[in-house]
Amino acid sequence: MAQDRFDKTLWLALLTSLFSLAVVLTLNASTSGDSRHGSKELNKAMDREMAYRARVELINKLYGPVENLRTNGHKPEALLKLDELIRTYPGEAHGYMLKGQILREMGAEDEAVASYVEGVKLNGDYVDDKSPLSRRSEIQRFVDEETKRIGARYAAEPGNRSIAVLLQKNNYLKSRLAGGCE
Amino acid sequence: MMRSREFWTVVVVGALLGGLGVMLAVWGNPENSGICVSCFIENSAGALGLHDNPNMQYLRPELLGFVLGSTASALLFREFSSRGGSVPLSRLFMGIFMIFGCAVFIGCPIKLFLRLAAGDLTAVAGVIGLLFGVWAGLKGVAKGVDLANPKKGSGSGGHLIPALFLLLLVFFLVRPGFLLFSSKGSAAQYAPWMIALVAGTTLGVLAQRSRFCITGSIRDTFLMGFRISAIWGLLAFVGTALVMSLVMGRFHPGQYGQPGAHLDYLWSFLGMGLVGWISVIIGGCPFRQLIKAGEGDADAGLVVVGMFIGGGLAQSWGIASTSAGVSIYGKAAILMGFVFVVSSCLLFRDRKFIEL
Repeated sequence: MAQDRFDKTLWLALLTSLFSLAVVLTLNASTSGDSRHGSKELNKAMDREMAYRARVELINKLYGPVENLRTNGHKPEALLKLDELIRTYPGEAHGYMLKGQILREMGAEDEAVASYVEGVKLNGDYVDDKSPLSRRSEIQRFVDEETKRIGARYAAEPGNRSIAVLLQKNNYLKSRLAGGCE
Repeated sequence: MMRSREFWTVVVVGALLGGLGVMLAVWGNPENSGICVSCFIENSAGALGLHDNPNMQYLRPELLGFVLGSTASALLFREFSSRGGSVPLSRLFMGIFMIFGCAVFIGCPIKLFLRLAAGDLTAVAGVIGLLFGVWAGLKGVAKGVDLANPKKGSGSGGHLIPALFLLLLVFFLVRPGFLLFSSKGSAAQYAPWMIALVAGTTLGVLAQRSRFCITGSIRDTFLMGFRISAIWGLLAFVGTALVMSLVMGRFHPGQYGQPGAHLDYLWSFLGMGLVGWISVIIGGCPFRQLIKAGEGDADAGLVVVGMFIGGGLAQSWGIASTSAGVSIYGKAAILMGFVFVVSSCLLFRDRKFIEL
């Protein structure tokens, strides 16, 4: 590997390059660690976290009036307002999650399951413990109740297509709540 | 056979893979994903910025351990040999399609059996698919499908993948700002990094020594029945995973409500079928490719690079399945994968020995 002068020159160049790299990294580390100069380091994670927090704030602001109507007991009005918001922001999951919650509170469990499924399909953060949007415990309780209720209905009417579809949707929520890598 | 050292090495590796596969999930990895090469690659590709799914970005220390453990073992036992040059670009594409197959099924062959051992009956379609894929690949090999032989020598660049993974380990420890780490989702679920790294390295060392491979075990069993050690390693893997799942209260038999699973059985079958077929052609499952890359096999190294590209694309293009099922892009990717594999078989077939 070092048989002639050219080999030796290459080895020297390699060592010089490695040494220079180490010096550059060390100098950069000490500069970026100095708060007086301010950190110019690329930090994608922090940028993303800030964007996510901003999104959560925007969601709370957008859906705040619906939340107020719901807590004041004006649920049909809240649903109407939600439908309008879902039409305006069709890719946003929060509307479906709120709709699911209101429908559940109104006793329309089948429709609530469908709405929760739409929401979770659009954004899995709602079943994620670590997300500020998480509604995991609420959905888990609901799914546990629905598993028994829909299971009993399906056992009574095994040929009923709409109950089979509902069972499939409930199983989807169960699967998402069970975790896994996706 | 039971008196041979090779037999017991393979059985120990299989048992350790099964045990750690369950325990890493207990220690923090996603459910049924204690060890999953394709999930780890998708996570790591995300951490390197190759896709933008914020729930799938984490440089998995297990993955680094597999390669670096294999390198350490190969160097220690003087088995490190730089070799390569066997249809490199085709291998890169096979790596991409192998990850597409895994992404559609949701898991690599290791996770396939971990899912099954945890009672996930949806994985049965994947098992049948993997068996079919290995059988189809073997049929091809028997009929003369053969990639060109690699050349030995330092010019092959076999040291590059171990060097890259060493650099990734430095990145993992130093955490430069360009790396992405999920704060939510499945990539935010991980075992303590030191445990994960030690587990990965241990498996890397033992897999290098034993040449253990999931699809290789199936292939050898098709060829020679139960007389070979590899199948006992596979059985030890599945048996240990099953026992550990039962002991840890993680055995939930059923088809519905399983973690990271869908009910599109046909596509699970085809996804794993594609993985099995490609694995036979390139000489090993995704895990084995990592181990071989660590030993200086530049061809396997290109498969690993392809797997990283595939991991990025599977997430960016919506190819990866979810519990909701397989997307149209996932289905198209699988079918394109079969087009690619079948045409590769046609191209790489040695027709000298065709019986007229």
